[in-house]
Amino acid sequence: MNSPSEARLEIEGLTFCYHSRQEPAIQDISFDLQPGEVMLLAGASGCGKTTLMRCINGLIPKIYRGSLEGQIRVYGRPVSEMSMAELSQSVGTLLQDPERQIVGSYVLNEVAFGLENLGLPRGEIMERVERTLDYLGIAHLRDREVFNISGGEKQKIALAGILVMEPRILLLDEPLASLDPASSSGALQLFRRLADDGISVLLVEHRVDEVLAIQPERVLYLEDGKAVYLGDPQGMLDVVDYRRVKLPARTVVRRARNAEPPPEFQPALPPPTQQPLIDFQKVGFRYRPELPETLRGVNLQVHPGDVIAVLGANGAGKTTLVKHALGLLKPTRGQVLLEGQDTRKLTVAQAAHTIGYVFQSPTQMLYAPTVEEELAFGPRNLAHPPEQIRADVSWAIRTVHLEPELKTPPLALSFGQQKRVSIAAVLAMRSRILMMDEPTAGQDYWNYRSFMDTILQMPGFEAILFITHDVDLAVIYANRILLIYNGQVAADGSPHAVLRDEEKLRACRVLPTSLLELNLELYPQTGRFLRAEALAQYVA
Amino acid sequence: MIVSFNYRNRHSLLERLDPRARWIFSLLVLFAITMFWDVRFLLFFLALTLGQYYLARLTWRETRRAWYFVFFIMTTMVVVNTIITSSGTIGAAMKGTHTVIFHQFTIPITGWIWELNLTVERLWFAVTQVTRILSISALFLVIPFTMDPRQYGATFRGMGLPDRLAYTLDLAFRFVPTLGRDFQLTLDAQRARGYEVEKVEGGLFTQIRKMAPLVVPVTMNAILSGEDYANAMDLRCFGLRKRTWIEKLTYHWRDYLWIGFGALLLIASVVLSLLGYGEFWVPSILLQ
Repeated sequence: MNSPSEARLEIEGLTFCYHSRQEPAIQDISFDLQPGEVMLLAGASGCGKTTLMRCINGLIPKIYRGSLEGQIRVYGRPVSEMSMAELSQSVGTLLQDPERQIVGSYVLNEVAFGLENLGLPRGEIMERVERTLDYLGIAHLRDREVFNISGGEKQKIALAGILVMEPRILLLDEPLASLDPASSSGALQLFRRLADDGISVLLVEHRVDEVLAIQPERVLYLEDGKAVYLGDPQGMLDVVDYRRVKLPARTVVRRARNAEPPPEFQPALPPPTQQPLIDFQKVGFRYRPELPETLRGVNLQVHPGDVIAVLGANGAGKTTLVKHALGLLKPTRGQVLLEGQDTRKLTVAQAAHTIGYVFQSPTQMLYAPTVEEELAFGPRNLAHPPEQIRADVSWAIRTVHLEPELKTPPLALSFGQQKRVSIAAVLAMRSRILMMDEPTAGQDYWNYRSFMDTILQMPGFEAILFITHDVDLAVIYANRILLIYNGQVAADGSPHAVLRDEEKLRACRVLPTSLLELNLELYPQTGRFLRAEALAQYVA
Repeated sequence: MIVSFNYRNRHSLLERLDPRARWIFSLLVLFAITMFWDVRFLLFFLALTLGQYYLARLTWRETRRAWYFVFFIMTTMVVVNTIITSSGTIGAAMKGTHTVIFHQFTIPITGWIWELNLTVERLWFAVTQVTRILSISALFLVIPFTMDPRQYGATFRGMGLPDRLAYTLDLAFRFVPTLGRDFQLTLDAQRARGYEVEKVEGGLFTQIRKMAPLVVPVTMNAILSGEDYANAMDLRCFGLRKRTWIEKLTYHWRDYLWIGFGALLLIASVVLSLLGYGEFWVPSILLQ
């Protein structure tokens, strides 16, 4: 390469404004990326992370139009002079959702896709595919159908499809979003190894706490499209607002010591009683007769006053379990009782009077012309009186901080906002039991903590259950932890009882976080699990 | 996630054939079937295509949902186009004179008069139509269940389509089960909000409007994920130059035999129809 500098990627004064918008999405961004370096690109959603990536990989201006200023050079050559074929062999991009970028039906075909498009000879393609699969340790998946592999494996397949093109710069867009804790730790180790082998890695992620474990060389922190911080990770920990970005627990404790103590958090749930709301009796379930059981002999009772966090690996059966409570799935053996009634004898609509269930993906349910109508849909189906619907809709929208969007079409909102609309749509039904599948996916730290606080402090719910990969969410909010492994309940008990058993957690692909470790350490003094800010007063 | 049809290798005779040969055979037989309105010939084709279905080792259990769909479309077509109106029939059946039911309706408000003149010819035409649709369905229904999804693209390419179109067809083919899966997810999400599709009632337009909670998310999801797929494909150089297909297909003697058999059927059908066989036919016993 005859570039004057060593840098693989140089960006100077980059500003981009989409045609459809007034404000630039990113403004005056400058940085460079060295060989073998991991750079963490952090910031809240809407900060311009995705736009910056699109500028580097050529989707801007090829697909997304707008006004672009400044310079982007790869190996000293401006990207504007490079063809897509050239660029994609230098810059590889792993998009946010592996599910939406895998186009092949089988692993081999998916990984070979890019090389097929480049028209390489068949023998060379096969050789490079084998080499890449070996490198990632997934050669055994070669002839598997992509549909039937786990979330973590899907991401490796998507990554293989990019690495096979031998890019020297790798862009990773929130690669941890859909992974269980063990898979995301594995993915991070892999990114580190790629960098150590000479690839330059630009990693976009708001789970800053976890990324710091692989010691990124530098951090670029964006706020509203502008670079707020560029430098080593240590420096960022002192600059970034710990209420906006999840930092390591000890850092938060250190910084919160001098700040105002957080407001007292008081969940508003009824006192526990013995009469169960939901009762799983030896429940077994299989999706098709020829498949193995997804749930295997689950016994479980949900009582009033429970705030349950359901933890476990991708594909452990968490969503399948929760769908049984509502009768969306009926057990193939055993039975599920909802307030004493067999769910086989209830319609889902009847069960919906008792249970509000927020699905994982908001795009699967949003349809109405305005957010207001979207929120009124559920309560109307349940035949609530109009005045009550108005009051509940207005409460629900305030809970998720979307009051200004009441008249906006939900489909015009960002993914994070849509997710909050989908939560509000279920809140407005005023169900007595609330169940949420990955409520924090794609959400800002500040936003999700805020709505979780509000929901838990709001009287009216008798029990709350949420599925999550975020162990800290369980630490802060749950009073009971359900650990699911391979279709069975591996552990069920108080947060302290379940989460202190590190060996069992690891066996279930759940990893302790810095907040959990600090809480376990301080447990003799606190007697319960607390958020990092609240722990500050217990640390000398 | 793009889902493929639920394919598993059954080691059937049919799967040993080259997928291109199977497509070509199916198209040849399709053209042959369209030559006939005589139920006697059509019954031969029905037997032939059901034979192929049997050879594919498919069971009712696996394919019943696809069949329900065929039955639904077929019933609608036959009832609306042949029984109620005669717009879907051909000359001979339209001119039928052997009336079974004759009834005159006055459509309220408009005062228009509408005649239902159900003749033996039209009823027999309906029978013929059902035979035809069932043969064609049995012919093509085996394909998604017994063809390796890896080979879709290479098959279309091998049949002479350009690279881009072949891969797009491959994706389009797999879009069908994907849409089915998305629909089920949305249905579940809306049922959890108290929505009951069984209770949707009212006039046609009200019913359509009340289906919005299902139709809108499924459609929007398809469009939005389409954008992501397109980006992912662009980033991996799709459509920039002549493509290599790693799936290799090779013709064997049995494939030529299979295509030859299809061609023979088509030629025989063309000859028969030129000789005047295969026109719409009603058993004379029904016309007495």
